Amino acid sequence: MSKPPRNVIQLPTGGRAVAPPGTEAIALPRPDVADKKISLFHLLFKDRFATAAAIVLVFVGLTALFGPMLMGDLATRQDLSATNRPPFSHGDGWAFILGSDSLGRSMVARLVVATQTTLSVALPAVAVSLVIGSLWGVWAGYHRGIRETISMRIADVIMSFPSLLLAVVILYVFSPSAANIVLILAVTRIPIYLRTARAESAELQSRTFVDAARTFGTKPNAIIRRHVIPVVLPTLLTLATLEFCYVMLAESSLSFLGIGIQPPDVSWGLMVAQGRQYLQTAWWLSLFPGLAIVLTTVAANVLASWLRIATDPAQRWRLTLPRKRMIMRISPKEVQ
Amino acid sequence: MLTFLRRRIVSSALPLLVVVLGVFALARLTGNPASLYLPLNATEQMRADFTEKNGLDNPIWVQMADYFAGVLRLDFGQSLRTGESAAAMALRAFPATLQLAGTTMLLAVVLAVIVGSWAALKPNGIADRISSFVSMAAASVPDFWLAIMGIWVFAITLGWLPTSGVGGLSSWVLPILTLLLRPFGVLVQIVRGAMVSSLSEPYIKLARSKGASEFRVVTRHALRNAAAPALTVAGDLAVGLINGAVVVESIFGWPGIGKLMIDSILQRDFAVLQAAVLLTAISIFILNILIDLGYAGLDARVRPAGKRSKASKAATAVLTEPKEGKRYVQTAP
Amino acid sequence: MSFSLSRSASRRASRGVVVGTAVAASAVLLLSSCSVANSEPTAGAGSSDTIRIVLSQEPPTLEACESNLTSTGVVMRSNVTEPLVERNPTTGDLDPLLATSWEQTSDTEWTFTLRDDVTFSDGTPFNAEAAAFTIDRAVNSDLACNVEGYVFGDDDLVVNAVDDTTLTVTTVSPDPILPLRLSFIEIVPTSTDATAKVREPIGTGPYVIAQWDTGTKLTLERNDDYWGAAPAYATAEYQWRSEGTVRAAMITSGEADIAMGLGPDDGVGDLGLDYPNNETVALRMTAEIAPLNDIRVREAVNYAIDKSGIIDSLYQGAHIAAAQLVPEGIVGHNADLQPWEFDIDKAKALVAEAKADGVPVDETITIVARNAQFPKVSEMSQVLQEQLTQAGLTVELKMVDTTQHLQYQLRPFVDNEGAIALLIQHGNQAGDAQFSADQYMTTTGAQSVYGTAEFDAMLEAASTKTGAERQAAYEDIFEYQNDEIVQFAFISHQTGTIGKAANVNYTPNSSSGDELRIAEITPAS
Repeated sequence: MSKPPRNVIQLPTGGRAVAPPGTEAIALPRPDVADKKISLFHLLFKDRFATAAAIVLVFVGLTALFGPMLMGDLATRQDLSATNRPPFSHGDGWAFILGSDSLGRSMVARLVVATQTTLSVALPAVAVSLVIGSLWGVWAGYHRGIRETISMRIADVIMSFPSLLLAVVILYVFSPSAANIVLILAVTRIPIYLRTARAESAELQSRTFVDAARTFGTKPNAIIRRHVIPVVLPTLLTLATLEFCYVMLAESSLSFLGIGIQPPDVSWGLMVAQGRQYLQTAWWLSLFPGLAIVLTTVAANVLASWLRIATDPAQRWRLTLPRKRMIMRISPKEVQ
Repeated sequence: MLTFLRRRIVSSALPLLVVVLGVFALARLTGNPASLYLPLNATEQMRADFTEKNGLDNPIWVQMADYFAGVLRLDFGQSLRTGESAAAMALRAFPATLQLAGTTMLLAVVLAVIVGSWAALKPNGIADRISSFVSMAAASVPDFWLAIMGIWVFAITLGWLPTSGVGGLSSWVLPILTLLLRPFGVLVQIVRGAMVSSLSEPYIKLARSKGASEFRVVTRHALRNAAAPALTVAGDLAVGLINGAVVVESIFGWPGIGKLMIDSILQRDFAVLQAAVLLTAISIFILNILIDLGYAGLDARVRPAGKRSKASKAATAVLTEPKEGKRYVQTAP
Repeated sequence: MSFSLSRSASRRASRGVVVGTAVAASAVLLLSSCSVANSEPTAGAGSSDTIRIVLSQEPPTLEACESNLTSTGVVMRSNVTEPLVERNPTTGDLDPLLATSWEQTSDTEWTFTLRDDVTFSDGTPFNAEAAAFTIDRAVNSDLACNVEGYVFGDDDLVVNAVDDTTLTVTTVSPDPILPLRLSFIEIVPTSTDATAKVREPIGTGPYVIAQWDTGTKLTLERNDDYWGAAPAYATAEYQWRSEGTVRAAMITSGEADIAMGLGPDDGVGDLGLDYPNNETVALRMTAEIAPLNDIRVREAVNYAIDKSGIIDSLYQGAHIAAAQLVPEGIVGHNADLQPWEFDIDKAKALVAEAKADGVPVDETITIVARNAQFPKVSEMSQVLQEQLTQAGLTVELKMVDTTQHLQYQLRPFVDNEGAIALLIQHGNQAGDAQFSADQYMTTTGAQSVYGTAEFDAMLEAASTKTGAERQAAYEDIFEYQNDEIVQFAFISHQTGTIGKAANVNYTPNSSSGDELRIAEITPAS
């Protein structure tokens, strides 16, 4: 990596560099890769909540990948004589530790299989809308003018379009499949990233470093890639985590209305929707998938907010301090 | 500002058109609703009569032209289901949703600002951790589950509130609470992040050292700067509420436009669907214009470019050049 | 996502705050009325004069000629409007209502003697002219009334008002059950628009439509000029909630007195009353598309379904396993017919036999079911898919909404998706098997996918018979269906659940779901 410019005072790793008065702070060059890896994990273990969140997410991810294989056909095996068995009653074996559903199928197995379906809908939807929306927004914000106006108007169109109608049409005219649901969820959420990326990118237009790059004759795409995107990325990733939660909830609302994932496929949202008729008699049918949704999204949010601080060189110092010092009201300028 | 308004309204007309046309086309893709509205053993002739009477056998552009000719006469068609004027049905249902969404967003913003600011005063402290966790959890709960649980707990078990329906103040509580949680959860995190950033700015330290009370520091200085991102997100959430209060309206029997839309989609009542979508689209465009005004009012740098006035050019010039030793550093929330 | 502003820009910031406050203030003004736009507050605690009923959906219209549609009829029939004759759900006989007597004066003609002391709620007298007008409007006109399609088919009726109290009705071909058919026609005055459907009609019944807050509430008030006995309640209020749990909650929390269409797990507890609601659930198989075109495969489907298992686990044993399309109490019901046994081995053997003969049993059969058609329809469909798969067939499940379901249910059917087993729910409101058989079993029936010429002849012959002969003929028809035709795999005759508050007396009967007579509801003393 290139050496830092001479007029930037650099503190030891983890510290914040401050420019002398009159100069603008320039984004720091990244430290060595190896150095960063070690310290990322180190930082992670320092924060108990973030560690817990990471563990939860890893667990969910592994379940999604390998769970259905392990469960076999346990998730679809019906047993009409053993419907709505309550959880935590040890007589029925480990498969029924979380009870059974209205057709006698194991809740544990269904939750595991549902993990794969839910994540295979939520993650691609978020990824697609993030990538498309961000790139488009950054491009529009950089170029301004007519391109920006048209992009914003297209965003308005998509946002005011009733997503329900889109969902019903796609579901009934074409085939009801997870891929189509991903399509709907991705398309309807693009404007969120588009608007935010555009706003941030437009704001950066007035920054000296962008002006400087332009003066040097750097091509727009290169400027966008090297200067704009890295600055815009943290906000967009925060947004993506919030959107991950929204997409899972939207999927369950679609199931409530009968136009989401269709039986016999199963997803967390569908399980919550199906269990709503039994809230007073078999509360576990809705509670456990609902808990799964909440825990996964909270974990994702916690880890994302930690990551945001940890990967921003200007903010990492917050995580290296012992807890007591961190909660005092100190401004970054005092750390010198 | 007026030029901006005028330009926005004009440039919103085309997207509005696109939305209505899109709904028009998509709705007709779902097929001929004849079998739903005719008796069970309707003959082919009856089906043909029905299709012709409702103009569904014409090519799509002819249907669109007829529809727009009608719109110019302020005739938005009639409901296939009830025979009433589609515009009347949409206009009757819309205020109910507006009231629900408006109250919810207002409460969500106020509560989020209070909780978010309080959490931001001590970043990573106990209050912050708890409020973060609670707000994230609140934003992750499925709304229909919350609604039914709310009915079960507050209406059946405790008997404090009515189960559903419209009426006195008490019947607003459960629907608003259900709708409130997610916007509240999202906004708390945004406000908290923005407040943490602005509370770490040098002028805050300046205000504190001048002896300003904590309350003044937070509201007068920090909050203003946190308002911009919160405003955008609040606007997006409001839009989502207008379009998406369907579930809550269905469960609580709230006669709003979300329920009207889903019913007319499922019953292929095209005229009512188009009228409802037109109404919500117009209100969303108005809301977006208001947000842009507020946002541009807060931060001159993001005003839409175009014919830039002298004033805005000057403003931008000011902001790019450091003055009086102030630094402009982008800090992540 | 934060922005640092210069001091000069803070003026703009305050402007933004002003804009924001303006928006907020206008929102508050909008809400200051503190009541939901365009609606009256719904009643909290009930008064002894008002009966509060909660339905599962709002009536789309109250047009009298659509009253065979459940959502319209449940409010209108015998409450606001009345027919000439009324079917007694318990005995199955026809009771006089606006007509005092009737007789078949020739093969194709019936004569009705009408009451002379009845007026419509707008003051106009009820007479044969009004009756003739109503029948003409419902059956012969271009309005495309639902009752025409459901009850009368393509043939027109010739009606003649001989004098004020005598009406003759002539049919195209001999029709022994014409009075039963006329029980579906709710009489309206001659002032009713004959060229368009009317949303809030006038009738002769014990109640009049007082106010309809579309979307919120419908109120009926007692008609003080009613010719018969005054009902107990002065006002009837109807509301609607799409969730069964919410309807049940309204009963348990005292917000409603009667709740319709509840399910077994909705939580209404002791306040729920079960009643046989004449609905039968079955799979209708496309018997002309492989592999369902082989009768052995269709029989295998019947053997593979564990009817009592489904009824016990999903419906707490409240339903009755079905062997035919109509339940007990309907003319033509064959009480000796046994439901197909649950025998999975026999099913597998039949499938294997068909496979050995070259029938493509591996081709996919799709079970198509309608969302929210009846409680636990989704669970039942999944069970059916599983059980048919156990028999060795390849079965997929497709859940669709009402409009889509009708494409499969009615002519012209969906014929490009392979073999289809449609999950249908049939309610015979009329009390006579001919209504079901004509629809579902003839070769050209509106909801029939299969028939034979021989079967058609049997059906034709049965329709002209009367009395005990009629009963026997239809019993044979149902037996023949199960032996030779096997278009259906019957599952169960259902029971409905009504929620009833403790302060109200009401005994539901088989037609309560289609026709909730408020006069039969009385306050508990």
